[in-house]
Formats: sequence, C-alpha cells, structure tokens
Amino acid sequence: MIGPIGRGVAACAVSISLACGVAPNKAAAQTYPTRPIEMIVTWGPGGGADQTGRMIGKLLEPELKVSIPVENVAGASGVTGLTKLLGGQAEGYQIAIVTADTLALLADPKPQRWSLNDLSPIAVLIVQNSGFFVKGDGPLKTWADVEAKAKTTELKVAVTGLGTPDDMAVEQLKKRGLKLLSVPFAKPAERYVAVIGGHADLLYEQAGDVRSFIENKQLAPVLFLANAPVAQFPKVPTTKSIGMNLVLDQFRTIMAKAGTPPGPYKLLTEKVAQTTRSPEYVKFLQDQWADPKSVLVGDAAVRYIREQIEALKKLK
Amino acid sequence: MEPLIHLAHGFGSVFQPVNLVVLVVGLVLGLIVAVLPGLTLVMGVVLALPFTYGMGIVPALILLTAMYVSGTYGGAFTSILFRIPGEPMDVPLLWDGYAMARAGEPALALGWTLFSALAGGLVAAIAMVLLSGPVADLALRLSTPEYFAVILLGLASVVTLGGSSLPKALISLALGLVIATVGTDSTYGAMRFTFDIPLLEDGIEYILVMVGAYGLGEVLSRVEQRTGGDSVQKTSTISTKLPSLRAITAVKGTFARSSILGFLIGVIPGAGATIASFVSYGIEGQYGRRRQELGQGIAEGIVAPQTAATSSVGGAMVPLLTLGIPGSGATAIIMAAFLLHGIQPGPHVFFKSGDIVYTIFASVFVAVIGMCILGYFAIKLLVKVLDFPEAITSAFVVMFCFMGAMASRSTVGDLWLIVAFGIVGFLFERYRFPIAPMVLGAILGPLAETSFMTTMISFHNDWTVFFTRPISGSIMAVCLAALLYPAYREWRDRRLVRVG
Repeated sequence: MIGPIGRGVAACAVSISLACGVAPNKAAAQTYPTRPIEMIVTWGPGGGADQTGRMIGKLLEPELKVSIPVENVAGASGVTGLTKLLGGQAEGYQIAIVTADTLALLADPKPQRWSLNDLSPIAVLIVQNSGFFVKGDGPLKTWADVEAKAKTTELKVAVTGLGTPDDMAVEQLKKRGLKLLSVPFAKPAERYVAVIGGHADLLYEQAGDVRSFIENKQLAPVLFLANAPVAQFPKVPTTKSIGMNLVLDQFRTIMAKAGTPPGPYKLLTEKVAQTTRSPEYVKFLQDQWADPKSVLVGDAAVRYIREQIEALKKLK
Repeated sequence: MEPLIHLAHGFGSVFQPVNLVVLVVGLVLGLIVAVLPGLTLVMGVVLALPFTYGMGIVPALILLTAMYVSGTYGGAFTSILFRIPGEPMDVPLLWDGYAMARAGEPALALGWTLFSALAGGLVAAIAMVLLSGPVADLALRLSTPEYFAVILLGLASVVTLGGSSLPKALISLALGLVIATVGTDSTYGAMRFTFDIPLLEDGIEYILVMVGAYGLGEVLSRVEQRTGGDSVQKTSTISTKLPSLRAITAVKGTFARSSILGFLIGVIPGAGATIASFVSYGIEGQYGRRRQELGQGIAEGIVAPQTAATSSVGGAMVPLLTLGIPGSGATAIIMAAFLLHGIQPGPHVFFKSGDIVYTIFASVFVAVIGMCILGYFAIKLLVKVLDFPEAITSAFVVMFCFMGAMASRSTVGDLWLIVAFGIVGFLFERYRFPIAPMVLGAILGPLAETSFMTTMISFHNDWTVFFTRPISGSIMAVCLAALLYPAYREWRDRRLVRVG
C-alpha cells in the first residue's frame, strides 16, 4: 500500500512525467497500465541500482504512457525492497530492480523466506565486470605485486559485506595461499576512502561504478573476474589468465511478482526489450562500462539468473 | 588571490536571473522537506534530481545545493514549535528550543536558529573555499576507528541529557541502543529480537522512536493535562525576534566551537549533520559557560546544534569536490547530478571545471543568506500557528507523526510502532525519565555498531587501536573526559557536603 507521502511521491512523479512531455491521460483507452507503476529500487539513492532503475523508468514512461515513480527501499542486502514487492498485488503495478547481491542469498545453504519462484524476472538490465582495485599511487601496482605481498603479509580487502559475492571471491583467492581479509564497508564512500586513504589494500567493485576514480587515477584495476580481457583494460589480467575458474558477473535485473497476469507481463517484457535497444540506453551501458550484450529478456533472463545462482552455490 | 577571483566569477554566475530563481526554488523546497517529518532531506534531494535532467549543470547543482543548505535549517520550525524533529539533526535543537518556545519566546528561539544557521553556514563556506586541500587530506586519514570515536563522542553527550540523574540517562540510552539492535545485523546478517515478525526483520526505524516519543508523547501529555481548549499563547503581537548584539557576543565561544566542529565532522564520510548536531550539543554540555542550565531553554542549547548542522554542509562538500567521495546521502545525489552531466568530481575537477566548482562555492554563500531571509519572514507567519487551540495543533502533530511513520516503509505496522513509542515517551515524561538518551541511542546505535564491528574485523579484535591511533586516540580521550568528569564532579560535591 502507498502511504500519504508515497502518494505525494507518486504525484510528484506524475508532475515530473508531465514536465517531460508524457501525457498520462492518453492511458485512458488502455486496459494496462491505467495508473502509475511503482518502481522499487532495492538499494539506496545514488548507487548503481538506483541509476539503472531511474534510467529504465525514465525510458519506459513514454512507452507505457503512465508515470513510473521510483521508490528506494533499501536494507538487508536488498531483501527489504524485495519483501515490499512480494507483499504487494501481482497486477503489474509494482516492479523492482533486484541485484546480484540479493539473488546471491539464494546460493546460501541457509534457507530464505523467498525463492526465485516467487518472482517473474522481466529482464537482466546490466551485466558488469567486477574485479580488484588498488590505490592509484600506492605501492601495489599489479596483480603480481599483490600476490607477492599477500604470500607473507595479510592484505585487507574492502567489500560490501560478509557472505556477499565480494566476500566469496576473496575466499576463493585465499585458496591460492594468499593472506586476505575481507573488511565490510556497506557504504560505497567508506569503501572507496578505505583504499584511497590507505586503510585497506584492495577494493572489490564493478569497474563502471568506480569509473571516475579510475579516470582520476585514484584507483587502478589489477585483476578482473572474467574469462576474457576487459575491453577498457586489455592489459589487466583476468582470473582465467592466472589459472582460476572464478567468474562473478555483477548484474541488475528488473522483476515483477510471480503470478503477474500474462498480458501485463508480456507488455512489460516487450517494452523493456524495446527501450533497452534505444540509443540512450546503449550509451548508458557504455558509460557504465557494462557488457554491451547485457540485456536478456524473459526466459533468457530466468536461465541466466539460475545459472549465476548455481555458479555461486559451487563457490560456497 | 586566485581563488577569490574564481569565487567572484562564481557569484556572477549565481546572480544570473535563471540561476537565482532556481536557487530560491531550491531553498523553499529544502525548507519544506525538512519541515515534514519522515520526508527526509535526502529523500527531498532524490525527488528533485529528475527535475534537473533537462537543466544545465550549473542550475542543476545550484538547485540541489540550495536544498541541501536549507534542509539543515527547516526542521527547526517543527522542533521548536511542536516538538517534532523534522530531521534527526533537529533532535538536540528541541531540547532548548522547545523549552524556550514554551517559556513564551518562540520567535526568539527561531531567531536564534536563524542566526546560528547563518553564522555556521558562512563560516563553513569560507573554510570550504580556503581549506579544501588540507581538509581533503584529513578526510583520507580517517577510517573506522575514527568514525567510531566521533560517534562515541556523540553518545557521550548522554551525560548532559539526563538532567539530574545520570543512572536514568544511562538506562534510557541502553534502551535506545537495544531498539537499534532489532532486525538484521548489518555485518553478519543475523536476526536479532525479530520474534519471526517480518516487520522487525528490517529493524525499527529511528524516525519512529524520534517522532513517536517526542511528538506523540507530547500530545498524550497535553491530553493528560487537559489543555485542549487553550492556545499555547497569544502571538498576535509577536514579531520576528533576532537576538541582540550583546546576546550574540555572549555566546561567541559556542559559535566558534560549533562551527569548527560541524565543519570537521561534515568532512568525515558517513558522519554529517546529525552527528555534528549531537556532538556539538554534548560538547556545550561539557565545556559551555552555562552548561548547568542547558536543557532549560537557553540560547547556547539552540546555537550549538544548529550552527554545527549547517556548518557540516560546507565540510561535506570538500571530500565530494576534491576527492569525488560523497560523505553524506545528499552529497551522493549531488555527485549523481555531476555525473549525469558528464563531469566527474575529484582531484582534477578544479582544473577541468573550476568555474562550476566555484559557482557551487558561491551558491553555498548565497543559499545561506537567502535561507535566512526566507526564514526571517517565515518565522512571523509560523509562530501564529501557536494561536490555535492546543487541541487543533495537537491534531496536526498527530497527523504529521503518522505521515512520518508511513513515509519510510509505507507499512501499517509502523503506525502501531509509532503509537507504542508515543506511549513510551508519555510514560517517560510522566515518571521523569529522560527521553533524549533513548532517541540518541536509536539514532547513533547502528552507526556506532557498524564502525565498531568493521574496526574489530579489520584489526583482528584489537580494541586498543581506538587509543593508539593519534586522531581516534585524541577523540577517545575527550570521550572519556566527557564521561568521567561528571562522575568526578558528583563525587567531589558529595565529599564537600560530607566535610561541610
């Protein structure tokens, strides 16, 4: 349900869409959607999930001819926002941005209150390479430097949280005899300060999320968790090139609640497929240093998500 | 000299008619979001962000900066007039602000906040322009031990909040800290005190404790006193009251302490206006000239938190602009606006887009002054609200409280929780238990826990690190002094009584 402030937010979004030239009254002849669709972003404002949600919402509005107000419902690695989606009606009037960090919880042996069967994935919106970064002007310059030092001295790795894919990646690297310690910093700013300020030695992150720091030479990539060299950094080694079978894609999806009627679900998948082919979205992916073939719609998205969860289960 | 020339260009840009209109709109929006409990400053800035998509970078940043500046001030109105903190940073403000308003001086209380916001804002803006470089280096030298030490200093202000009884204050604080532990533990993901109730899994929002205990608790107290038909006071003759020059001179020490503290705390990523406000009030309680009278409606109790809260804005801008690190929720959105327009804040922004940076600097100056002009006229209108019968103002208070409860999670369960905390607040008042420490614990508890746990993980459970690092060690020494000095004072007084 939407509270007074929520209605205020919706009203505000309607006025925004009006300002952007969208005309909600045209929706009168449609059967779906006939009212605003709430976009739940399961992480806080300003981050990667928020940017993705706002971008896709902005592009979907003129296509669906209704406003799509964004609501950030952060907490518990994205589960709070997900719970809000699952607690609502499966009518297609609530959709959510759900990230790999949240879906990774399904790889945990500890049972969750929810499963993938409770959700109807509409699309995978963005897939980014993740990797390890060091301080731009620090003593460690390459992955070889990191390995050499970590054989004798414990290195601190700034991660989003314990038990997350970040932490799992660190655990896998420890199997190479490296002395690494995951230190959780939930807030991106604290995570970046930790490495730039020299309080941690390594940062695990998506390259696109720290693009400004890389371009300002405050951070530098030393290893990507990928099978092939990353286009922007062809000289940076990958886990494959150092003989590891460790690839963790960081991805963000858009989902509806399971049981959403076929009509609205089909319309949503079609419109998402259409808008993600737009030049603006393609540029967004480029700016985020994302895989240009990131977008997977409908069944392909479901298959991809299941594969990723299975891959994570093997790391546990 | 060169920065001043750039700054002059920045002022020229801000005073362009379009930019000036955008600035005023930003100030008004910031005041509105800060007045409404539950609609936080960050949420307001987030809502404004889509409006900036179609703007140029300069008006976009001016709009968001103006909202950020005035957002640290608007909550003062509801805190002082209704005892509802619009933002967590306004909690310390109501202890003396509301007391001064109830003592018949609401316009003067609001006048003090206006002057404090002006002084704090301007000092921080000057420091921001002149000290960006060295202060940015300081931000990088701080890590979780220092974050924890600063938050602990905020928690140590409990000794000044408990009134006559330190044990009662500590019990109240412990209750607040326990409330803060409910939900999913942010480090290990363990469920604590959730009793299989889904609502509790995401914890109890501090806003429920803050708004419930203060706002609803106060209404219940009024109901008990049966003051429904009377108004608080007749304010028809009241005009905006700015403090006299003599009164301002008398609290110059408080201004100086709070401005510097607010600016420095603003620089720390993740700290911001709330911690600045609490720490500044606590320091005033320890070292202020009139510390014994704090909480009874004195100017220092208003000046300390408001000056520090507004001053923290200038501090938070420094790591954003010089390092590209947003230290607070609002600066994260301002950074998003930068990126949306293809500009990356960071070490090179002064060279690549110096004109924009100095326009932001200038907009902080103009926003602080503009906010005070708006505030000056708003006060005259707002105090008239107190002319209404208390039954009507109480009904509005209840409505605002419920709006605040619904704002964050939109669940009916939160309405029940806010009612429960309203009853707790009422009972605390009734039996002379201090509410402030409980609210303090609920707000700062999660921040303290996270920075403590991260430090323990990072330093292999070596707690001495808090004392061996120079900056955290110094702050911890101040914390210990703050906590132990009252105990020593009490022991000394008892001894004197016995000897006497």
